[in-house]
Amino acid sequence: MLASSETIVQLPTEVDLHARPAAQFVRTAMRYAAAVTVVAGEREADAKSLLSVLGLGARRGTELRLRAEGREAALALDALAACVTGFVE
Amino acid sequence: MVGVVVVSHSPEIARGVVEMAGQMAGDDVRLESAGGDSHGTLGTDEALVRDAIQRADQGDGVVVLADLGSAVLTIQHILETGNGAVKLADAPVVEGAVAAAVVASLRLPLEDVVKAAEEARDARKL
Repeated sequence: MLASSETIVQLPTEVDLHARPAAQFVRTAMRYAAAVTVVAGEREADAKSLLSVLGLGARRGTELRLRAEGREAALALDALAACVTGFVE
Repeated sequence: MVGVVVVSHSPEIARGVVEMAGQMAGDDVRLESAGGDSHGTLGTDEALVRDAIQRADQGDGVVVLADLGSAVLTIQHILETGNGAVKLADAPVVEGAVAAAVVASLRLPLEDVVKAAEEARDARKL
């Protein structure tokens, strides 16, 4: 069954989406079968591509819109939202 | 798990890239550096590169990132004469190594690791 879901999560106020958190985020996304895109402002990235996620240049406090499609979509979003809110500097 | 080898003319660059990629990918990934020539000065040494590939190889293949010129030629020579699953990624060293290490840490196959490294060619920074 194909599913699509979407959620919005905010980067913690003290953490930019820089290299290390981005790596954590991408590693989480890659554990799931779903295709996930992440939108920050006007930029969109493949959540499974580290360099694409880094290219968002998302700063602390930015709202990230996560969209997942396919198998494990809901699971992927839950895990990614938890990952983002759990970022520590 | 796929291993990652960083080859640079500079030992400091090779070690630094390995350290950075390791911090981002976690401790499980086998990352090895082969920097400089046999005297530790700027250059490339085929034996050093071969040793690094051997150390990185856990049976699932190795992706190699190289900086310039003779580093690339040395690896190509090793690939022509060697066996086993070793691929030279056509990618910038720092970005390619970090992306490769993160994907390798997820125990994905060699093709996926090479692809992640090579995406670095087109990744924009701004």
